[in-house]
Amino acid sequence: MAAGRADRKPNANAAVSSGTRSIDLLPSAGVLLLLLGWPPVAAPADIYLRVFGLACFYGALALAWNLVALTGLLSLGHAAFFGMGAYGAALADHYWQLPPFAAIGIGAILGAAYGGLWMATFRRLRGAAFALATLASVEIPKVIIDNWDAFTFGSLGVVGISRLPTLDLGGRVLDFGTSLTAQYYLLLLFLVVVGGFHFAALHSRWGWAIRAVREDETAAAALGVNVPAVRAQALLLSALLTALGGGLYAHLMGLIEPPLVFSLHLSALPLVLTIFGGRYRAFGPVLGALVLYPADQLLFHRWLPSGHALLYGLVIVIALLFCPRGIAAWLSWNRRSAWKSKTSG
Amino acid sequence: MWLQLLVNAFSLGSFYALIALGFALIFGVTHAFNLAHGELIILSGYLAYSLNVGLGVPFWGVFPPCMLVLMALMAALHGLLRLVKEPFELNSLVLTFGLALVLQNLMLWGFGADYKLLAAGGSAFNPSWLPVTVTRTQLVLIVLSLVGTAAVYLLLTRTYLGKALRATIQQREAARLAGIQVQRMSLAAFGMGGLLIGLAGPLFGRNAYLHPAGGTEATLIAIIITIFAGVGKIRGILIGGWLLGLVESFTAWLVGGSWRELVSAVILIVLLLKWPQGVLTGNRTRTLP
Amino acid sequence: MAVALRGLTPLKRILWVLLWVASASGAVAAAAAPIRIGEINPLTGRLANHGIEIHEGILYAVEEANAAGGIGGRPLELVSRDDQSLAEVAVNQAEDLILREHVVDLVGGYVDAMVGPISQLAARYRTPYVASASLQRALTEGRPNPYFFRVSSLEGVTAPLSRFVLEVVQPGKVAILHAATPGATELSQELRERFDQAKLPLAMVEKFRPGTTDFSPFLLKVREAGVDVLIVNGFLADHLILVRQLRELRVPLKAYIGPWGVAYPSFTAELGAAADGLVGMCAWDPEITLAGTEAESQRLVEGFRRRFGKVPSTTSMHGYSSARALLAALQQVAASGRQPTGEALSQALRGLDLKLPMERLQFDAAGDPLTYQQVMVQIQNGRMLAVYPRERAAAEFKPMPPLD
Repeated sequence: MAAGRADRKPNANAAVSSGTRSIDLLPSAGVLLLLLGWPPVAAPADIYLRVFGLACFYGALALAWNLVALTGLLSLGHAAFFGMGAYGAALADHYWQLPPFAAIGIGAILGAAYGGLWMATFRRLRGAAFALATLASVEIPKVIIDNWDAFTFGSLGVVGISRLPTLDLGGRVLDFGTSLTAQYYLLLLFLVVVGGFHFAALHSRWGWAIRAVREDETAAAALGVNVPAVRAQALLLSALLTALGGGLYAHLMGLIEPPLVFSLHLSALPLVLTIFGGRYRAFGPVLGALVLYPADQLLFHRWLPSGHALLYGLVIVIALLFCPRGIAAWLSWNRRSAWKSKTSG
Repeated sequence: MWLQLLVNAFSLGSFYALIALGFALIFGVTHAFNLAHGELIILSGYLAYSLNVGLGVPFWGVFPPCMLVLMALMAALHGLLRLVKEPFELNSLVLTFGLALVLQNLMLWGFGADYKLLAAGGSAFNPSWLPVTVTRTQLVLIVLSLVGTAAVYLLLTRTYLGKALRATIQQREAARLAGIQVQRMSLAAFGMGGLLIGLAGPLFGRNAYLHPAGGTEATLIAIIITIFAGVGKIRGILIGGWLLGLVESFTAWLVGGSWRELVSAVILIVLLLKWPQGVLTGNRTRTLP
Repeated sequence: MAVALRGLTPLKRILWVLLWVASASGAVAAAAAPIRIGEINPLTGRLANHGIEIHEGILYAVEEANAAGGIGGRPLELVSRDDQSLAEVAVNQAEDLILREHVVDLVGGYVDAMVGPISQLAARYRTPYVASASLQRALTEGRPNPYFFRVSSLEGVTAPLSRFVLEVVQPGKVAILHAATPGATELSQELRERFDQAKLPLAMVEKFRPGTTDFSPFLLKVREAGVDVLIVNGFLADHLILVRQLRELRVPLKAYIGPWGVAYPSFTAELGAAADGLVGMCAWDPEITLAGTEAESQRLVEGFRRRFGKVPSTTSMHGYSSARALLAALQQVAASGRQPTGEALSQALRGLDLKLPMERLQFDAAGDPLTYQQVMVQIQNGRMLAVYPRERAAAEFKPMPPLD
């Protein structure tokens, strides 16, 4: 039976066979082990830790975005969550001097609240209308924050945001504020947490419900799937995690301004990374981030200081032409063909 | 005062509509999300600048070459997009995103980072019976947007090609069954889109400015108006453009320019909630479980 | 070597060649190891025009020094990077320059959101950073950063601007329009404070987002309110549109003042005659140079023209001045026989006293320039002429002619 399925023309919605989870699990674990073990082995200079840390960060953002995409809705407004998370954390830090992780928590809750607003307002929207509505919804908090000089400092932005704290965990001192190694592992942890949710959204019972909603809402409802609940769970989770990322970013950078944290680029980047990396693979978006971001910052900027965007764009174009299902699918293809030959041979 | 504001708002709206027309036609027929749309308009503008300022070609003379060159470029883009495999919409979106970056950089190398303008010549019109000033550029924008929309609309409704295009917009598979060469329709759409983009370029250079990084805003406007108007609804483009122009101008007048985007966004969301399939499609909304 | 490689597998051949190349370049490098200077500017994006101008100024200074024999016999090498107008990229590239490219110091920068984080990085790695166009106060307030220096400051813009408006223009009603960026916002706030102190009422203050292509509602309001002096804290692109729409809407103004973006050859080139009467600010111009530096200024203009095919702008001069400061410090350190370490260079910069066409460059304890003053210029008959302060003025300020 598995052989029969493997013979069928592969569709874009990932293999139906039960082999999917193992197809994803092994490479995901491999990537994770690599990310965990590389710093102690290679003892890299700070620049590599910084760039790969941020690559993990953007990978996490892409995974969080993909949670909503997996339910069949393409959001172009995730920057709204990011920005609210960033400003929530920054203002909590500025006005109440909350410890950074608590401030980030507040930012995350604000982002999730805005996600709840989306749920309530955009319930009946689908497809292009949903995309446009989410795109427009970024402007609302952005403009309010930009104009509310008295509270948010408006266009000046919030400066002097506290660094991440130094934690003492059982004798081991982790200086998240200044040690790039500690920051790298923190961002990796963020990636793992988001990645865990993303993996579940693909390969669990909940994941099956999500997939049913994505492929045919009406049929899913007929089968007894609580469509609004599934959508709400994915969206709120996605909003929470993205806002968490925003708060982290605020503390890492030390300063934020409205056009930075509500930028269109932040809305588009997860989409680009996910499609480039592979939509239906657990580690697809991460791969996109881990390949593109370091390549851009460490290689393209070096080779062509004023033309790096050209290389970035070319890489995307070429990858899309040759790996339409993302480079992760290309990596997995080798395994699938091995599986095919094993079962048919 | 109000009249002048109105004139300016309609001119701005016409400008937006002209930017969006090419995008809407291509998206409607082929479902290709061309994120490099703005950059192509800027490219057309640069071409117009080179002709107008560099070679002394008069303003009206730059339109034919710009439109033809962009038509050829869009045909080439169509060829490139034919290589894109499923899922087409998303992949074309990301591919054109990459293309936009490539184009931006090429224009930066080719034309430099300085801001360029196409001189707005000619005297303005001050009719004695109305307390308004209408500049030549504004008149051109309003007239061309009406003409462009009318031309595309008539093409879509009165010609055989147009009917075939509309069929492709509405039901691709059925159109194929009816014997319509869908690929040729796509090419035609891209070509016509190219003409419209070529048309918008010189006007962009005259009404705003030319800069390699200036395409993003134009793409954004095109996307907003296209989705707002509803897929394939050409008259909706003009209405949508005018509405956006009006909302922006009156917001800027009443509460200040810094609230422009917020008011536009709120109105856009409200209208989308009421008419999710696009403003002019009436009550054909999909009900959900 | 071809003989030696025979018999090896292709992979081994490649490895041997690479090894040979690496050792050869190592040998060459030891001979006259260049001094590497890193620069970070917006080379792409909306501010690319200014970033490239700063880059050209810095490059010219470095090439000038190399033509004169380098520093202590060693040639200078400029390593340029783009910050994409993003603080995160600026920090990545600055760290890359310091750690992988081994630059001895950093220069450049146009927006303070980038300059701030780079200055923190500079302190962390004890690498001096001379910012070319930083303005905001926050960067030198608070804890002093011994590795941060800048050749410009906001005070040098606000003071002459406000004095000019109050003493020379003497407006009936003033309006300020500013871009929604931190620098423009801070400038507006400073101006408001000064105008409040001088009891000059502001008819309106409005903000716009960069990228706006239509200012007509605002200009109509300006016309209705009878404002006669408009100060626009925007960039070159915004002025291009505003000036055109001013004339189209027939807004009668006594003065249109654009502290940034007006006093540029590229601006007057695009607008032509429409630029006449506009007031801008610059720190230097071929005809507006510090007393006693006229000859040097002239040579600079000619050399720059030969090298880049255009006249340097005030922004290029900021780049040039910041690079010259670094080069002077390097020279001083080399002359005293020491290695160009961060600490040595910082010390040398701290004690610098350099007469440049743009200013007499001396840094105070916080890294600000001691005597940085911009000059008000007005475009009259296609020429940029200084009109304030009186000591440096070449012409009188003329109110804009009434529209016919």
